Amino acid sequence: MTSMVEGMSGPVQADRSRWPVYAALALGLGVAMLASLTLGYKLYGLDEVWAALLAHDGSETATVIAGLRLPRALIAPLAGAALGMAGVMVQTLSRNRIASPDTLGLNAGASMAVVLAMVVFGVESLAGLSLAAALGALMTSIIVFGVAAGAGGLSPLKIVLVGVTFAGLAHAVVEIVLTSNEAQLQQLLFWLSGAFVDRPISLFFNGLPVVLVGAALAFTLTSALDALQADDSTAASLGVPLVAVRGLTFIAVSLLTGAAVSMAGPVAFVGLVVPHAARGLVGLRHRHQLAAAALVGAIYTTLADVAARFVIYPVEAPVGAVTAVVGAGTLVLLLMRRLA
Amino acid sequence: MDDQVANRIEVKALSLSYGPEMVLDALSLPIPSGQITVLAGPNGCGKSTLLRAIRRLHAPQSGQVLLDAEDISRLNGKALGRRIGLLAQSPSAPQDMTVEELVRLGRYPHQAMMQPWGAKDDAAVAAAMTGTGVEEMRHRRIGSLSGGQLQRAWIAMVLAQETDVICLDEPVNHLDMAHQLDCLELVTRLNKEQGRTVVLVLHDLNLAARYADQLVFVANGTVRERGTPETMMRSDLIEEVFNVTAEIIIDPVHKRPICIPHRRS
Repeated sequence: MTSMVEGMSGPVQADRSRWPVYAALALGLGVAMLASLTLGYKLYGLDEVWAALLAHDGSETATVIAGLRLPRALIAPLAGAALGMAGVMVQTLSRNRIASPDTLGLNAGASMAVVLAMVVFGVESLAGLSLAAALGALMTSIIVFGVAAGAGGLSPLKIVLVGVTFAGLAHAVVEIVLTSNEAQLQQLLFWLSGAFVDRPISLFFNGLPVVLVGAALAFTLTSALDALQADDSTAASLGVPLVAVRGLTFIAVSLLTGAAVSMAGPVAFVGLVVPHAARGLVGLRHRHQLAAAALVGAIYTTLADVAARFVIYPVEAPVGAVTAVVGAGTLVLLLMRRLA
Repeated sequence: MDDQVANRIEVKALSLSYGPEMVLDALSLPIPSGQITVLAGPNGCGKSTLLRAIRRLHAPQSGQVLLDAEDISRLNGKALGRRIGLLAQSPSAPQDMTVEELVRLGRYPHQAMMQPWGAKDDAAVAAAMTGTGVEEMRHRRIGSLSGGQLQRAWIAMVLAQETDVICLDEPVNHLDMAHQLDCLELVTRLNKEQGRTVVLVLHDLNLAARYADQLVFVANGTVRERGTPETMMRSDLIEEVFNVTAEIIIDPVHKRPICIPHRRS
């Protein structure tokens, strides 16, 4: 045990009020969303943004702001909040700090389900595709945990191994569907990697209730999730109904991941990175972990979306590429710290 | 002894198997209220399983466990969690969890959706930390604690449950001698001062004899014999249960019997 304690022997100020943290995060989110509205290929002033949002005058500026900038300034934080909260729950469920909706293959599974729903079943409505994404995430979590359990125990590394394998498989299916459906190529390409650009605002209003339901479910589970951070024997002897809590948590994770994927496609590694920041800010109680992860996730994806507009300016980079670079770096750091 | 003291728990003809393997075989055992009962026996005799079955972590094939004359299979998980606390063998929690966050977990069975965290919960957590001497380190991460400190933090977690019955599965494993005594003195204090009923699984027979009011030898899934340490610490019985020839002497300081093993019989 002694080799693992380096770097965390200092006292933690857990008694401090967390309200300043939440206030700062909320402020940060506001600033990030304003940045998303004003910064880009064209820069707009706050006055122009105000004018476009409050009184749409049909000008080009107003059309760009209300029609292009506003949807992504709303979808990015909502998807980020959903993935952040899903990441917290996945890491607690698997007792694994390198687990996330990505490493468990949930994003990829949701993408595959959406693509199959479109191509095989001809689903076109946004509500139908959102449902397909959530079901895809749920099915994937059942398959991944089932296979990992069947392969002799739910060890953290095994879950991730099975998840990554399944993600590869799901990506292959999506690619096969893509190459055999050239007519729908542009429409389908979106489901391979995440993006917030060119999304209709209806996607936001479609995803919002799903995220709210998933978050509400998550917040009813907080004290059970706290106890589930301990081993199964301890949690069970405290009276946690393990099977019911795990099942409900999977449903919450699937709703949140599915909603995020239905709005933005599979944005990589958000659910991996965000929970670490959230725990660092507010500690391990899930009431706070989830709230902070929602805010941090929202800020993170919104800023990543803004950054994506400038990394290869004047062309836009896919936001999934930005979050993948940050996420992969974080994953390597976490693994190195684990193995050290 | 059974006749003077009410039994908090009554294990009745409990049989339990993992697959084809019989672990508990129609085992019966009364656990007197307000006493320390220590379960001892050779490896694989079923003592840990018995402790876990008392907290219903294993479902028996037949027989029952009565808690204050009530069948525990009729109680829901949280209700049972308010009455029996169990510290599992080698429990685990995230290394970056603080001591206070860990101790707070003990309040889980007292919380309901419509009845969130309150002053009673704060008081129980504070009392549990004071009682185990971990309040000074409540903001430390558990990964930074020594083995003895960590064990006290876990016991505080169980205390915060405010249960009348406390079960500890090999609580002094992996602790050095000083911390073994520390831990068991703490348990004895909780028993004497607060009247809690304690059930321990202990490997070290001399520690068992020193701290037990009722000492129980478990062998092959049944209770071989039970009684006070004075009646239980006999060389013939120890040879039969543990397969060692041993000499019993009286500890000159504590006046409790201690066993000096000679060789495997």
